[in-house]
Amino acid sequence: MISPSDPQSSSTAHSTAATPGAARQSSTSSGSEDANQLIPVRMLNEFTYCPRLGYLEWVQGEWAENIETMEGTFGHRNVDKPDRKSIPARKKSNDNGDRDEVQSDSANGDSIHARSITLSSDADGIVAKLDLLELDGGVATPVDYKRGQVPDNPEQSWEPERVQLCAQGLVLRANGFESSQGVLYYIASKRRVVIPFDDALVARTRELIVQFKQAAAEEQIPPPLEDSPKCPRCSLVGICLPDETNLLRAPEESVPDGNRIRKLLPAKSKALPLYIQHQGAFVGKSGDRVTIKLKGEELASVRLLDVSQVCAYGNVMFSGAVIAELNRRSIPIVHKSYGGWFHGITTGLSHKNVELRIRQFRTADDPEAALTISRQFIAGKIKNCRTLLRRQLGSTDDPVIANLAEYRKRALRADSAETLLGLEGMAAKCYFEKFFPMISGIEHYDVDGRNRRPPRDPVNAVLSFVYSLLTKELTVTLNSVGFDPMLGFLHRPRYGRPSLALDLAEEFRPLIADSVTLMAFNNGEINQDSFIARAGAVALTDAGRKSVIAAFERRMDTEITHPIFGYKVSYRRVLEVQARLLARYLLGEIEEYPGFVTR
Amino acid sequence: MRSVYLIAYDIVCPKRYRKIYKAMCGHGDAVQYSVFRCELSDMELQSLKDQLWPVMNLHQDRVMIVDLGPTEGRGDECIEFWGEPRSLIPDRAATIV
Ligand code: SF4
Repeated sequence: MISPSDPQSSSTAHSTAATPGAARQSSTSSGSEDANQLIPVRMLNEFTYCPRLGYLEWVQGEWAENIETMEGTFGHRNVDKPDRKSIPARKKSNDNGDRDEVQSDSANGDSIHARSITLSSDADGIVAKLDLLELDGGVATPVDYKRGQVPDNPEQSWEPERVQLCAQGLVLRANGFESSQGVLYYIASKRRVVIPFDDALVARTRELIVQFKQAAAEEQIPPPLEDSPKCPRCSLVGICLPDETNLLRAPEESVPDGNRIRKLLPAKSKALPLYIQHQGAFVGKSGDRVTIKLKGEELASVRLLDVSQVCAYGNVMFSGAVIAELNRRSIPIVHKSYGGWFHGITTGLSHKNVELRIRQFRTADDPEAALTISRQFIAGKIKNCRTLLRRQLGSTDDPVIANLAEYRKRALRADSAETLLGLEGMAAKCYFEKFFPMISGIEHYDVDGRNRRPPRDPVNAVLSFVYSLLTKELTVTLNSVGFDPMLGFLHRPRYGRPSLALDLAEEFRPLIADSVTLMAFNNGEINQDSFIARAGAVALTDAGRKSVIAAFERRMDTEITHPIFGYKVSYRRVLEVQARLLARYLLGEIEEYPGFVTR
Repeated sequence: MRSVYLIAYDIVCPKRYRKIYKAMCGHGDAVQYSVFRCELSDMELQSLKDQLWPVMNLHQDRVMIVDLGPTEGRGDECIEFWGEPRSLIPDRAATIV
């Protein structure tokens, strides 16, 4: 969530991390169909900060932790320690001239303090968890803790905080208390600020509750803020993609020179995958580290902070503790057979973007709509194939370049999925005719075109393995964005096949998988010793697989300039952004799915 | 996005020491006894503090946190080792075993 404070204030540090690996907990909501569901006042705070943020969190169940929302806050404890009973009211020992604006309770008077109470008001349609409630007879004063400093503005507070507090007051009133003011306690400043619940604030609070309910009932996500200083401090910026969405929504003429996109996302993710292919390895947890052992000997130990996913091949064992901890942190575990067959993903309680799944299923069920997206996947793939060949061949004279351009045009007009797949096949054939000879030493490898299941030569063995890595990566990404990776638009569902991941993989095959293959051979990272042949089938050795995985991971970490948004970003993030743009398209926010094509 | 921190501690009681050591291991690597090199975001640093704080006894123990700057900036460049560090500074790469 966000800091409710003004974006220009610099009082608190903010993390904007919202990667798939970031801890994501389910919010208290489950959907919009139940209009009578009570709105948590914490969500009302978010909605006041930005209506889209409130919607993303409450209706779509998105959540990303940031420094403001971390539980067991350092600051709370700091205040808590000396006297657990009456934190804000206790007498101050420091003499810095700040005076509490509410007089301290006379010790042991009639006043009662209660912590962490949950109360609701059906009439207002809200539910509140109170940090602290000060009771004096029938008079109730809610106290809300804020991590930062007292804001430097006339109200000494920000509107979202006031609205949240006032909503708590409304809940107290509905429960028979008298509540005419609340207190914001700023931990860093150790100061109380009194907020009177005057008519204007009460009216504003009620108005926002109504607007929030309406947005939820209409299932209409509010648009992103325009160029707002709130976005860089918003923890969901990586999910919302405010500037990207606004750019793609704007009619082309109105966008001067392509982009005014702010770079709000970090170019790279902090955490990286962990691959385990040692047969018989045991994965456990030691403190906040994942340890991998083989026969009692430690092979590796990695901070959980550095792990974005765990990918286990074949016979790998996991302790219950490590599974629970990975689940808790929303770090997925991918289980594959040693040969690379997808067995499943273990994830924590997945978040509840039910709205997105419904649209995904509806679209897949509508042949025309499914075809529209599929065209973009295939046209994007052909374009990227063409770009790879053009760069490698160093010229555009080769007829294959013109042929691919032609196939792409026809793909964009294809009138059925069959036509589209036919075009894809023809394009692939002429592409691979040029691609294979680019691999140095190809003459030793006895390659006869593209073949699979099982691959019959080393180059095809590597291609198949890298495609499986790419598919795995997209399956994990789509899952974390809230899609069902099994149901695609172009690839039809078949048992054990993540069709949507295969769809989205199309445009990335040349950019990621084919170029990894090319580099691995041409840089000498793999050679004839990296393979074993059995009965006509060729497979990578353990060492060969390790080299290929390393090459793939390096590619994923490579930063490129985004062709539409103009900022530097790693391929790993590009995959996530594409998945989110696909979601924006399905949810009707943008007109067209923008395939990822490099120039 | 992440910064490098050098964190050193003196913990008097063995029981508290073990807890602190464990929390530190989850956040960085020991380059010397009781000296860790930690690559942390703001939030990760906060979470480390949240773990250390309730364990420590401020009358007896001490912790020092030195911010060496962003990982991609000055970060590690200002560390010079004589003799073998207890653990090497990790590269940014996926772990494959
Ligand atoms: S990134 Fe900006 S527009 Fe998007 S939810 Fe956050 S504050 Fe609102």
